[in-house]
Amino acid sequence: MIEFHLDPASGVATYVQLVQQVHQALQLGLLEPGDRLPTAQQVVALLAINPNTVLKAYRDLEREGLVRARPGLGTFVVGTLPRTDPVSQARFRRSMASWLRSARAAGLGPQEIEAIYRTALRDCFSEDVA
Amino acid sequence: MTRFAWLQARTQTLSIAGALAILAVAAAVTGIHLSHLYDNLVASCLASHNPCGAATDQFLSHDTFLQDAFTLLMRLAPGLLGIFWGAPLLTREFESGTFRLAWTQSVSRSRWLVTRLAMSGLVVVLIAGLLSLTVTWWYRSIDLAGTNRYDVFDARDIAPIGYTVFAFALGAFLGAVIRRTVPAMAATLVGFVAVRVAFIEWVRPHLLSPLHLTTSLLNADRFGFGSNNGSDVMMIARGAAPDNAWQLSSHLVTNTGRTLTPAANTAFLQQHCSAISFPPPAPRGGGRVLAKLPDANAFEACRAQAARLFHLSVTYQPAGRYWTFQWLETGLFVLLAVAALAGCYWWVTKRAS
Amino acid sequence: MSAPALETVGLGKSYGRRWALTDCTLSIPAGHVVGLVGPNGAGKTTLLHLAVGLLRPSAGTIAVLGETPHDDPAALARIGFLAQDSPAYSRLTVAQHLQMGAWLNPSWDAGFANARVVDLGFDVRQRAGSLSGGQRAQLALTLAVAKRPELLLLDEPVASLDPLARREFLQTLMEVVAEHGVSVVMSSHLIADLERVCDYLVVLVSGQVALTGDVETLLASHHRLVGPRRDDLSMPANQSVIEASHVGKQSTLLVRTDDPILDPAWSVTPVNLDDVVLAYMRQARDGAAAAAPGLAVAR
Repeated sequence: MIEFHLDPASGVATYVQLVQQVHQALQLGLLEPGDRLPTAQQVVALLAINPNTVLKAYRDLEREGLVRARPGLGTFVVGTLPRTDPVSQARFRRSMASWLRSARAAGLGPQEIEAIYRTALRDCFSEDVA
Repeated sequence: MTRFAWLQARTQTLSIAGALAILAVAAAVTGIHLSHLYDNLVASCLASHNPCGAATDQFLSHDTFLQDAFTLLMRLAPGLLGIFWGAPLLTREFESGTFRLAWTQSVSRSRWLVTRLAMSGLVVVLIAGLLSLTVTWWYRSIDLAGTNRYDVFDARDIAPIGYTVFAFALGAFLGAVIRRTVPAMAATLVGFVAVRVAFIEWVRPHLLSPLHLTTSLLNADRFGFGSNNGSDVMMIARGAAPDNAWQLSSHLVTNTGRTLTPAANTAFLQQHCSAISFPPPAPRGGGRVLAKLPDANAFEACRAQAARLFHLSVTYQPAGRYWTFQWLETGLFVLLAVAALAGCYWWVTKRAS
Repeated sequence: MSAPALETVGLGKSYGRRWALTDCTLSIPAGHVVGLVGPNGAGKTTLLHLAVGLLRPSAGTIAVLGETPHDDPAALARIGFLAQDSPAYSRLTVAQHLQMGAWLNPSWDAGFANARVVDLGFDVRQRAGSLSGGQRAQLALTLAVAKRPELLLLDEPVASLDPLARREFLQTLMEVVAEHGVSVVMSSHLIADLERVCDYLVVLVSGQVALTGDVETLLASHHRLVGPRRDDLSMPANQSVIEASHVGKQSTLLVRTDDPILDPAWSVTPVNLDDVVLAYMRQARDGAAAAAPGLAVAR
C-alpha cells in the first residue's frame, strides 16, 4: 500500500501532489493492478488534509483510467503507466550532464541555469495542454 | 441533569457531611454527659424543693468552652454555608469557562440552572437542619436550666435554616451577576450581614404587636440615681418583664401614662428629694456617676414618693410566642431566598446573553 | 437540498456602544470544512457564540442548520461546540466528562466516545485539570463529536497547542469528517492552520465579512499580475483590482476575475491562499480607516 506525503510549500495543489505520487508509484512498480489505495479516512488521519481533496485525487485517477472505486470495498489500481526504463534514464542523465558542463563553462551560475531549466520545462509541457 | 448536578456537588457534600458527623459524635458524647450532670445537680435539687440557684450556677459553669464554641458555630455557620455554597456555584463556571461547555450540551439553560440550584440548595438545607438539630439538642439541658430562648434566638431551632437558605440564594444571585468568586463571596457576606442586622433591628420587634404591663416602682428590677457627664441627677429605673420574655423597652411613666421626660425627672428630684438632688463633683472621664447618698432612709423615702407619682411601663413579647417568632422569621427569610433565586434565574436565562 | 450549515442576514452584536459584529450576511453550505479567519478582535468568537446560542443577536438573524439554537436543546443536539482554550471541569475525571456527555445528550454514542478515549491513550481516571492543553483539546473534541452532531463549531481549537498536538488534533478532526461527514466551521487567526484542511473560507475583519467563498474557486479567480509600472489602473470591466502596489518601475496587482488575462504587458503568477486573504484583510482595514470620521488623509 502506498503512503502519501505532502509538501505544503511546493506551490503544487494538494490533490495534484497525491495524483503525482500515485503516478510515480506506478512508474516505479511500487503499485500494481489489484492493489488497494488507502481510504480517504486513512489518508487524512495521517496527513490532516480535507477528505474532499483525497476524493478529488482519486476521481482524477479514475478519469485517467488508472484506478476504479468499488463501493464498500475501496479504490483499486486497474491501470498501468509506462515504466521508466533505467537505461534511457541514464542516457538522458549523461546528455544533461554534458549540457550543464558547457553552461557552466560559459559562465552561468546555478540560479541562472535553474531559471532557464524551469522556463523551458514549463514551455515544453504546457504545449501538451489541450 | 440531576445525576450530573449531584456529581458536581458530591465532593463538597461528602466533606461537609463528614465534618458534621464528627461534630455530631462530639456533641453526642458531651451532650449526654451534660444531661447526666443536669440530672445530678439540678433536677435532683428541684425535686427536693430547695432553692436551686447555687446548684444551677454550678451546672452552668461546666463546659463553658464548648458552650461558647457551639454558640459561635451557630452564629457563623448559616452565613458561611451560604457563602461557600451559593456564590461559587455559578462563579466557578464563569471563571473557568466551563459554562460554555455546559450550556452547549443538549439541555436548556433553565433546566441546568434549576437542577443545580435545587441539588445544592437541598444539600445546604439538610446540613443546616442537621447542624441546628444537633446543637439545639446539645443545649437542651442548659436551656432548661435557665436560658431565655430569645437571647439565643438566632442560634437555635429552625431560624438558622432560614438564614442559611437566604445566604445560599443571595450567593447564587450575586454569583450570577458578579461572575467572579471572591468578589461575589464578599458581596454576599456584606449583603447577608446587612439584611440580618436590619431584620433584627427593624423587623423582628414588629412582627407581632408586643404586650404591655405596668409595674410599681417598688417592684423595679433596678432602681437608682445617677447623671451623665455632669448633667443634673436623674432617677434611673428598669422594670422586668415576665420570665423568659423578650423585653423590648422599659419607661418611667406618669400616672396619666405619659413617658417621663428627663426634665420632669430632674424636676421631681429637685422638688421632692433634695437630699439626693445636688450636683455631683464633675467627673473627669464622663459617663455615669452614681450620686452619693446621705443615707438609706433618704433613698427609700424618695423611692416611696416616686412610686406614688410614677410607675414603670414594660413592653415585651411573652415566652409563649417564641415558636411563632421562629416560624415567622424563618418564613420571611425563605421568602427573601425565593426572591433571590428568582432573580438569579431571570439573570442567567434572560440577561446573560 | 439541505439547509445551510450557517446562515446569517444582517447579523450584528453590540456590547454597549461597541459593535463586535456589523451587518454580517453569510450563507455557508453544509458538507464543507470552513475556515473562519481574521485578526484578533475581528468578531470570530462572537460569531461562533451567536451560532451556538451563547449569545443573542442585537440585530439581524442567524440560523444554524435551519434552526435558531438559543436555549433550544433539540437544535443544540445537532451542533458540537468547542470553546476557546477547551474548558473542562478540572476536578472531574475524563470518565466523568464522558458520563456528563451521556447524561446531557440524547444522541450520545458511548461506544465511539469510549473507543476514542482509549485510542488517544487517556487514563480515564485522570482529572481534567492535570491534562495537557493538547489532551484537553482532544477531550473536548471527543465530547463534541460523540453526540453525533451534523455541524462542529470550533473556536481557535489549535491556537495554544504545540506543533505536534496541533497536527494530531487536525488529524483526528479530519478523520471524523471523513468517517461521519460532519460539517465543520473552524476559526483561527493564522491562515496556515486552515490551509491544509479548509475547502471554504470566511474572512472577518473588524466585525464585518471581507471575503467568503469556496477555496478552490477563490484561488482560481485571483491572480497576481506583475508588469511595468502603470499608475492608471483602468482594467476591463470584468476584472477588479483588489490590491495594487507600485515600486520603482514595477507594478504588482492582485486581481479578481473569472476570465483569462489577455493584456500581454502583465505576467501572471499564481497566488496562494495567504496572499489572497491578507490582501482582503488589508483592504478591509484600510477601508475602515478611511471611513473613520475626522481623519484628514494627507496626499
